[in-house]
Amino acid sequence: MSRLASAPERADSSGAEDQGQIEGASSERATKNVARSPGGTAAEPEWLTSRRADAWDLYLSTPLPSTRSEEWRYTDVARMLPLDELAPPVPELSGPAISNGDGPVPEPLRRAMAQDRDSAGRVIDIDGSAVSVELQESLAAQGVVLSSLSEAVRSGDPLLESLLATRAVPASDGKFAAMNAALWTDGVFLKIPRNVQLERPIRLSRWVSHPGTATFTRILIVAEDHSRVSFVDEILSPDFEAVTLVNTAVELFSHAGAQIQYVSLQRMGKGGFYLANQRTLAKRDSTLDTLNVALGGSVGRVDLNARLLGPGANSDMLGLYFGDHDQHFDFNTSQDHVAPNAHSDLLYKGALDDSARGVFRGVIRVHEGAQRTDAYQTNRNLLLSERAAATSLPNLEIEADDVRCSHGATVGQLDAESLFYLMSRGLDREQAERLVVLGFLGEVLDRLPMGGVVEKVTKAIEVKLGHVR
Amino acid sequence: MNDKAVLSVTGLRARVAEEDLDILRGVDLTIRPGEAHAIMGPNGSGKSTLAKVVAGHPAYEPTAGAVVFQGEDLLELEPDERSQAGIFMAFQYPIAIPGVSIANFLRTALQARLGDDEELDLFDFQELLMERMELLDMDPSFAQRPINDGFSGGEKKRNEILQMAVLKPALALMDETDSGLDIDALKVVAQGVNTLRKENPDMSVLLITHYQRILNYIIPDVVHVMYKGRIVESGGPEVAMELEARGYEEYRIAHAV
Repeated sequence: MSRLASAPERADSSGAEDQGQIEGASSERATKNVARSPGGTAAEPEWLTSRRADAWDLYLSTPLPSTRSEEWRYTDVARMLPLDELAPPVPELSGPAISNGDGPVPEPLRRAMAQDRDSAGRVIDIDGSAVSVELQESLAAQGVVLSSLSEAVRSGDPLLESLLATRAVPASDGKFAAMNAALWTDGVFLKIPRNVQLERPIRLSRWVSHPGTATFTRILIVAEDHSRVSFVDEILSPDFEAVTLVNTAVELFSHAGAQIQYVSLQRMGKGGFYLANQRTLAKRDSTLDTLNVALGGSVGRVDLNARLLGPGANSDMLGLYFGDHDQHFDFNTSQDHVAPNAHSDLLYKGALDDSARGVFRGVIRVHEGAQRTDAYQTNRNLLLSERAAATSLPNLEIEADDVRCSHGATVGQLDAESLFYLMSRGLDREQAERLVVLGFLGEVLDRLPMGGVVEKVTKAIEVKLGHVR
Repeated sequence: MNDKAVLSVTGLRARVAEEDLDILRGVDLTIRPGEAHAIMGPNGSGKSTLAKVVAGHPAYEPTAGAVVFQGEDLLELEPDERSQAGIFMAFQYPIAIPGVSIANFLRTALQARLGDDEELDLFDFQELLMERMELLDMDPSFAQRPINDGFSGGEKKRNEILQMAVLKPALALMDETDSGLDIDALKVVAQGVNTLRKENPDMSVLLITHYQRILNYIIPDVVHVMYKGRIVESGGPEVAMELEARGYEEYRIAHAV
């Protein structure tokens, strides 16, 4: 733990424009920890320094989740995540050329970015530092704010103090939320002003390069009344020999009548341990949709809580995972219907090959007074190998009487009969599997009205199926 | 018709994989180009097993004998290789593949017939598919539906015939295609097969059936009776008529074991 404890020194000053400070801070990193020196530099305001310190205290006092707890029963972090061995990413290893935003983007990330057909803006994040931020000028002129999180803090926007790690993903959300709130280095702040509707998505393209490191990123999106935005958060990395942690906190606020669509494309390499805490807060008549795509990394754990806070609020929650080798994906979702007349619909589908493991635990909670709630939850799994396993645990907690809720879960096998049927038409085994998997997962992508993402995910699945190199 | 066999089965024995008992116990059968053969027999006689062994179903295991298709040792080939060589089996119970359209499936199947370096022209494929559907008097929207997903029994069988029409096999194995079909659906399916035979007079058909009635619509050149894993009688269409009248009782007595 001692190495991680020193992370905030560099975290505080990881702004892209602040190269000198990053290096200055990191040279001290082994000597301090956040509890003794919260914030550490002049760059951060008092509120943040004390928020980090409180979060760090919580982190230290919160035990590591154990498999004895229901929510972590199938993901043994004590075994899978060697916290004591993780180090903060060292910025100088990324090279000043990349860190100041002018340098070459790593090739795999560049290729992934080239697949994106259109963007209204883009943030490039390398090893937990936003090194480049671009936004269409016309949008900036309309008051859209897209910036690195560190820059947003410096700008003094009062939204940061009121919303960062407070109402959505506070440190009190658990060990890893506390860890992120204490140690985050950078991330994205996006604000869409009232009535501004973006036609094209904003993208975050993330890359992690150093094995054995831990990276902490936060995304904060606020869509004011009747605004609209799509945000695609894609992360890639090379394969790692050592476990490499990426801890992401995603805080999404949609105000009255606004629409937010958040898409996470997790495409890390082997050794990647992806942890995400996502919370969506949807006010009256707003739409807050999410899609979590998990294809990469060795372990992926996503905690997603959708809160329907106003009548007429709506959340479509989609998930898609395709695991092979010994990949382990664990989704822990909850749909909190606080207000009446709200709607949420969750569909998570996963295909698992080789010895891959999928875990889905989902709960619909209809709070007292949330009458006329419409809430659905479906998890379907397709096993492509006898060694693959899926666990599905849907749940309902209903404290209102006038509701429509359903949940369902299935685990099916790609059986020999289906395979033979396809092969008897001339497809080889791989082609047959590809068709079945894409057909199975396609139901999720069909519900996503975002062309570029569908193609990218389809391509990525095909690569995993060994058809496209 | 020429005399060269398209399919030649000799002394074929086969069992369910890992089990002891042979279901096929020495089958001999020769089909020439353009011929339609029917195999009739009671439940458990092995007639469906024969079709599956020829198509390469992994649940069955040949234990003796040979199956030669157009001069090639069929038993050495994977199911996909058999398909590409020109064998097609219309399934008794076609399988649903949710989320995969018939058109996508057929495009993949045709692409698989080309080499890795050759790309199927999508425009050509669309044209072929439309032409085939028109030939079978099918609505073009049918090909956009997911394979057998929520299909009625008749639709499933029509889907089999469409696939056959697109893949243009040299030998079509019809595994109890008529079971579970009402008479109208049966006629549609039989009409489809006849249309394809007319178009390609060299296409051979092996009809596996429990009932005589489909043979009113697809007229066989040869009818075989299968009983306890062997072909016990072969003849013209009249054999089917007689069977319909007499049943399998005489075989039961003659082949009692």
